[in-house]
Amino acid sequence: MGESCHQSTQNLVLRDYCVRMNYKYLLSGTEYSISNSYLMLKQIVNEIPKVKGIVCYSVFQMPENFEIRIKLINKILEKNGELHFALENIIIAHKSDIDKVENIWLVTKTMKDCIVSIYQD
Amino acid sequence: MTRADVKSFLSEEETEITNQYLKKGFYQGPSKNMSSLSWIRSTFLEIIKQELNITTDIDTESIFDLIHQTVSVVELNQFRLKVIQRINENPDFRKHYYQIAKPYLDILVGNELAMQVKVNLSIQLPNDDSSLLPTHADTWSGDSPFELVLWVPLVNCYKTKSMYILPPNENDKLDINFKEMAGDHSEDLYESIKNKVTWIEIDYGNILIFNNSLPHGNRVNKESETRWSMNCRFKSIFTPYWDKKLGSFFEPITLRAASINGMNYKLPKLT
Repeated sequence: MGESCHQSTQNLVLRDYCVRMNYKYLLSGTEYSISNSYLMLKQIVNEIPKVKGIVCYSVFQMPENFEIRIKLINKILEKNGELHFALENIIIAHKSDIDKVENIWLVTKTMKDCIVSIYQD
Repeated sequence: MTRADVKSFLSEEETEITNQYLKKGFYQGPSKNMSSLSWIRSTFLEIIKQELNITTDIDTESIFDLIHQTVSVVELNQFRLKVIQRINENPDFRKHYYQIAKPYLDILVGNELAMQVKVNLSIQLPNDDSSLLPTHADTWSGDSPFELVLWVPLVNCYKTKSMYILPPNENDKLDINFKEMAGDHSEDLYESIKNKVTWIEIDYGNILIFNNSLPHGNRVNKESETRWSMNCRFKSIFTPYWDKKLGSFFEPITLRAASINGMNYKLPKLT
């Protein structure tokens, strides 16, 4: 959904999040910039349970396609892993956590069809 | 639609509240859920006692009003951050905060709301010039004009122990002459509006809802008691977001069934 900033800034946010949460920060994975590529993300999902979970910079870096997104999240949960979003401070550790993230996704997606700016003279 | 000219299906009470808010830039009234407000104040009290290692019974009124006798200006920010972090960690806190003013929010914003992810806390000790909030409008720093602020005092607030706001009619004049009135810094701006602002007088048990696109702020608290107040922004979910985004700053708290269905709806396909 286009939520992004420079990679070094993302790393700062990720590092700070891990410090605050008392997690060991491993080398960050960088997704290929090819449109709709989630190859790196899928690779890291495969590393669970060797790693406890994945910290993403933002909720909006997840796949835009609902089926792909839900499949990835379910796979992480089935492997007893956790998915964290540093910018939003949101954690998906259980199935019941998914709705909160999905609501944010759906509203943001729907906002494209709503008024998004105010009238200026 | 002009201000204070709302013609709709709103009830008499709703119209009265709406028109007051539009005309004055704020609405002030009794909390609609005193048990939620009491829950919040008691929870604060417990956290304060733990943070300050107080084991004896204390008078609720005086611990808030007289906290400056225990916490110094130097210690204040660390203390404030600790207290607000701990209460925000309580999963019930924001639900109670919303309940305090739910009927007013329904009238002034709507019933499908996005709420700020973290509630803020202000503690303003007497004569402390380190916790000042210079004149500002939230919209000048990335908040959407579709938001409003629910401001809830934990103590009685009056004179400089409270906050001020510039009424809409005066803000219109400021908008026209902004360059001249704003001067070189925020203190110049305050000087140019200080005789026009409304100082809020509000007791514990009441809430203040104000328009965050109107200039507001506080001054050095010259009273003998400390001010404790919380603030949190609300907006209708499907209205424009500026820099304060959904997810990191706001989250939907009352999505309704029709919107959930609508957001998930797909037309049937023939192929």
